[in-house]
Amino acid sequence: MNNKGMENTDYIKHHCDHYLGHRYDHMGKRKYGDREVDVCIIGAGAAGSVLAYELSKAGLETVVIEAGPFWNPQSDFASDELAMQNLAWNDTRLVAGNNPLSMGHNNSGRGVGGGPVHFTGVFFRFHESDFRVRTMDGAAWDWPITYRDLEPYYSKIERDIRVSGPRYFPWGAFHGPYPYPEREPISANSQVFRRGCDVLGIRSTVAPLAILSAPFDGRPPCTNRGFCNQGCMPNAKYSGLIHHIPKAIGFGAEILSDSMVTKVLTDRSGDRVTGVEFVHDGKTYKQKAKIVIISAFVVETPRLLLNSATPGHPNGLANSSGMVGKYIMPHTGHDIYGKFDEEIRFYKGTPVLAVSQEFYETDLHRGFIRGYTFNAHGSRPVSMARTLAANAGIWGKQLKEIMLDFNFYARITLVGEVLPYEHNTITLGNEKDEYGLPRPVVTFSYGENENRLIAHGVARANEILEAAGGQPAFVVPDTAHLLGGCRMGDDPADSVVNRFCQTHDIPNLYICDASVFVTSGGCNPTETVMAVAARTADHLIQNAGRGGQKREEVSRGKVTANAR
Amino acid sequence: MKNSDVISNNAGSDKIDIHYPDFNVLDLMDEWDSHTKEIVRRRLEPLPDREFFTDREAWYMGMIARHMVYDYRDDIIEWVIHHFDRKLGSGIGESQRKQGTPPEAVLVREGLKALDHVSHLSFGKDFGELDEKQQFEILAGLQMGKAPKIPQWSQVPQKDLFDKLVSEIVAAYYSHPAIWSEIGYGGPMYPRTYVRIELGLTEPWEARRTEKNRGAGSDEQ
Repeated sequence: MNNKGMENTDYIKHHCDHYLGHRYDHMGKRKYGDREVDVCIIGAGAAGSVLAYELSKAGLETVVIEAGPFWNPQSDFASDELAMQNLAWNDTRLVAGNNPLSMGHNNSGRGVGGGPVHFTGVFFRFHESDFRVRTMDGAAWDWPITYRDLEPYYSKIERDIRVSGPRYFPWGAFHGPYPYPEREPISANSQVFRRGCDVLGIRSTVAPLAILSAPFDGRPPCTNRGFCNQGCMPNAKYSGLIHHIPKAIGFGAEILSDSMVTKVLTDRSGDRVTGVEFVHDGKTYKQKAKIVIISAFVVETPRLLLNSATPGHPNGLANSSGMVGKYIMPHTGHDIYGKFDEEIRFYKGTPVLAVSQEFYETDLHRGFIRGYTFNAHGSRPVSMARTLAANAGIWGKQLKEIMLDFNFYARITLVGEVLPYEHNTITLGNEKDEYGLPRPVVTFSYGENENRLIAHGVARANEILEAAGGQPAFVVPDTAHLLGGCRMGDDPADSVVNRFCQTHDIPNLYICDASVFVTSGGCNPTETVMAVAARTADHLIQNAGRGGQKREEVSRGKVTANAR
Repeated sequence: MKNSDVISNNAGSDKIDIHYPDFNVLDLMDEWDSHTKEIVRRRLEPLPDREFFTDREAWYMGMIARHMVYDYRDDIIEWVIHHFDRKLGSGIGESQRKQGTPPEAVLVREGLKALDHVSHLSFGKDFGELDEKQQFEILAGLQMGKAPKIPQWSQVPQKDLFDKLVSEIVAAYYSHPAIWSEIGYGGPMYPRTYVRIELGLTEPWEARRTEKNRGAGSDEQ
């Protein structure tokens, strides 16, 4: 289709080079040019933003290369579902398996800030059991780290971005309080969810959110606009775009946006990486670095490793185990709708304001292992109608009639754990993209455990809606998030990175994003992605000190949320 | 133009009851941010020339869209086709595509041709010459992957064709402000803020049911 060669086909073009006091719409004035920097990070998403902030703050020379634009929320975002699909990674991924995944807006971000630019802001810690599924349930694997290893980083991230949440959180190892008070009031959709839970004796809470409940750092509290998935215009919702990245720039980092990394470069021996090759507007550039960190998400990270194969690494970089691209896991994302006599108007307010993790841990009486989170989850017309049509097969007169009652529906989303299976993979396809690189193939099929979990969750959700006074209306199958594909482990024979996200095969190549997840957990994963990134940053900073790499801190400018 | 006027042009003979006949989301347009305003306004203006669809293809798309969204209002259907036309003509990716399915531009173009073949097999006429009931039967068959067998389906998987058409058409249709008004969706909301988000509460500018439209189970609190 695209005969335009390697041109940047993003809707929006901005400056592509950003560092303190400078921004350019060309690559002629790069801060480091041909020089080797300490760290090059590929991808400015949930993980890359935290890494950029922490490493530049510690004085490491840091360059972040991001495929998409450096958004300006005020002029690029809009209160419109259709137009804001451009926040997603829309490049075609080939999908396969018994349950081919929806990609794009469903799970992948594009542009500075990455997925969190269009996430709902639901911010959970994993439970202790999530790291020990093999030990506790005899399935999947244990992580090489435990909850305790991540605990200080969960706390740090929550503090740094002022997560709001309930005074008491009933499930898992952390019971609150959160740095900022819980959101109040909550939306009608969340109210009916809690009402139904109360009737049934199911505990529920106000959602912990990466959305401000009070002013912070020049940013206002949430205005309940409800367009979290279309990009937050008031800047009340966290993303690296408005927090970590501008601060990283203040600490000296350089951000190269609209720049697609096409290859990680190695030295002649193949023992070390030397930097990356990237394409901006049809031209190829290099960035040399002592350390390369790939934070490009579950599809593009394995894809880049596989596409960077060399004679010394014929199966792709860091892939001596053959594990690159294996064991990917989405979450179940089934939407359960109930119809009410009263108006719910679930377009209003932050989409998720109430949750329950009552069914999170394994209970063998249920006939499956592991569990799920319920999110009371508002929606909007395009999202509702499109998934009804595409996922539930409802169209024509029936769809029209349902949508005329748009304001009378409430919705619960089932975020359920998906076990890792070897047959769920990222591989390279035969078809090539505009860079001449093979497109990724994303293959996914549910297993029996997931099918039972989904049946259980759908039944419970319908009970909640009924107890709240609604009529169970319809269930729209869906998935959310994507994890795994470069899992961490202690054994180089069956994992890609070690407990610090360093690849087993190449000591100066790191992978730090959702792809290192060993299991999926049964809840929204962004906080865990960011905590893993903060821990990796700590490890790199300590090692840089020991290795004599620590350098004088770059001159720091005034750091504001608006610094670009 | 009030919704109650246009709804009578709707497809089918049964009258469709709407809850908010007096609500027009565009009354609030002056309150919106300029970027959103510009995006939505373009949906109401005369449409520029097509980039992808031929006249015949656009004619077919119109017929298909009317079935899929159950609406006969020409201005809205034209906008839906325009949106699809721009998407197929652009270099933007399609997020995901099943392995073995052709790129969306090929899928749609070849798929529209295949509709004629399958219509001939079933009814001895082109798709465009069929009556509504016959067209519906063909489309419903596609959705189930059970339209009569023709060689073209090996290149253009019928279910994938249906899913592509319905997904883009429905997304565009529910992006039209006339539809937002009809369903009582508050629409764009910035820089104004919501204060009343709890059960039973509405902002003064939100859609309200008229007395006539309020049933026994009124939510007034």
